[in-house]
Amino acid sequence: MTQRKTIPGLILAILAAAGVLRAQQEVLLKISEGVPMVAVALPPFIVRTASPEAQAAALEIQQVLADDVKASRVFQPLPKEYYGYIRPLNPDKIFFKDWDSIQAKLLVTGELSADDSGRTVFSGKLYDVKSERFIVGKRYQTEKSGLRLIAHKMADELMKLYGEKPVFATRIVFVSNRDGNDEIYMMDYDGANQTRITFNKVKDYMPAWSPDQRTIAYTSYKRGNADLYLRNIYEGKETLIASKGTSYAAAFSPDGKKLAFCSTMSEEGNAEIYVLDLETMKTKRLTYSGGIDTAPSWSPTGREIAFTSDRTGQGAPQVYIMDAEGSNVRKVSFGGSYFDSPAWSPTGDRIAYVARVENIFDLYILNLRTNQATKLTESNARNETPSWSPDGRHIVFTSNMSGSLQVYMIDYDGANLHRLTDRGENKLANWTN
Amino acid sequence: MKKFLIYALAIVLVFSFAVSCKKKPKEVPPPPPQAQEQPKVEKVEQPVVKEPVLSEEDIYLQKSLEQINKEKPLANIYFDYDKALIRDDARPVLEANSGWLAKFKTIKILIAGNCDERGTEEYNMALGEKRAKAAMDYLATLGVSAGRMKIISYGKSQPVDPGHNEAAWQKNRRDEFLVIEK
Repeated sequence: MTQRKTIPGLILAILAAAGVLRAQQEVLLKISEGVPMVAVALPPFIVRTASPEAQAAALEIQQVLADDVKASRVFQPLPKEYYGYIRPLNPDKIFFKDWDSIQAKLLVTGELSADDSGRTVFSGKLYDVKSERFIVGKRYQTEKSGLRLIAHKMADELMKLYGEKPVFATRIVFVSNRDGNDEIYMMDYDGANQTRITFNKVKDYMPAWSPDQRTIAYTSYKRGNADLYLRNIYEGKETLIASKGTSYAAAFSPDGKKLAFCSTMSEEGNAEIYVLDLETMKTKRLTYSGGIDTAPSWSPTGREIAFTSDRTGQGAPQVYIMDAEGSNVRKVSFGGSYFDSPAWSPTGDRIAYVARVENIFDLYILNLRTNQATKLTESNARNETPSWSPDGRHIVFTSNMSGSLQVYMIDYDGANLHRLTDRGENKLANWTN
Repeated sequence: MKKFLIYALAIVLVFSFAVSCKKKPKEVPPPPPQAQEQPKVEKVEQPVVKEPVLSEEDIYLQKSLEQINKEKPLANIYFDYDKALIRDDARPVLEANSGWLAKFKTIKILIAGNCDERGTEEYNMALGEKRAKAAMDYLATLGVSAGRMKIISYGKSQPVDPGHNEAAWQKNRRDEFLVIEK
């Protein structure tokens, strides 16, 4: 009798809890450290057309997909030589025991063909080896320019399968002077397809992606003043959203409905943080300190904002957190005299920022649960303006470690540091938030 | 016959008189010499427009903004590391700048604040603007009307010296004064 009562009660409780979570729309990701990575088998794709272009396309997709898997920190590609230990893949009848015997957890198969108009058609399938189960299949059709994107989309299918946010088909926006003056560009997460976005022929500055990566907020000096603009890069539509004072350091809220930014638009001309509601287009001021308040970054729940302020001493900025309405301000940086550029991780529990110590700029990660800060970069250089990947495993930032300013990527634990740009000077990379 | 001679004589006389009247000028006394009689020398020249004497201000304002700014009529001022306070060595410079602005009353200026590379991007944008504002406020106390001044910050994105030493950093921590309207 008691058991009977308990079970429906428990179910109710679970449902209620689920309802609460849903209502808050919290998507808090968790990075499990020390968990072994999932081995993915990527046997050579089958090519159904005889053309050498199709062969090359298959190799390109395969290579990019393998690189994505390697970069993911969730999966790792099975060493190629393992495939020689078992029977070659027969897509019509897969011997899962073979794949299990070489420790593959996931199997990705791909087939390449051409449609009537000569476009590449790629069909990819994901299998769970242990349970001998087909999980998901995707068909993509593309011109040559889309081959890398196909691979990235396939890799994102793997990520989604493991409850992760898609990363590989997302893009990084940044500032480059490669064509003469500072303009805004974007690139794939791996540095490929570097494409110019703005053509203002003046100084464009501090771009920030909307969550759907269709719109950027950025500062341009094109009217002779540092004004803030929104530009839908695929429709070419541009809106001037702040033209009084100097406005910069924009950050979209995680739901894409609001834009936080720094501006001196007020009467006294002090740098304060504002939030623009993108539905009503009304601007609300959040900070009122006499010091400089800048560099807002939203928490993944959208309920809090991290920012920089020198309210306790000019020339000594610190990192603070406030509620998204501007109340409940508390300082979170400690033990140093110069902090800036907070970037709240999509996992919610970490804030990356820059600290200046003895004229060296390094990135640190503050763990909000343990209140411990860990140094992420270690170079006798300036490492600046961190921005997280959507899954919180990678950070893009600007560094002069090679001499000129370039965009680099590093993993959350300091691994896999590599450079993404090399033409001209490149800076102010933004991936999320 | 006598009569005929008389007539003939009379005719001759009359005729000769008539002829003599025509030929011989009348005995008129010559008119007294008068000044008007002397033909005046009339100068016939194209009128030449004389160039007006230009004031220093007029001469200056004839130049293009680009030329004016090239001559750098307004000197830079410099700042301490991480600071936006007007230094003692900047005061005479600002006084000279305000004097120049008092001379050219129509000129409007842009004050551009800049920082060295040893600050972060966001904080330097704000610091650069504070430096520009400090100069604007100081010029205002010297009598330059606020409507003639605009400020802008370039953060650390426009260094004049790309070096990585104190000499370069000091040059980069500056306010520049540009003429934007005349």
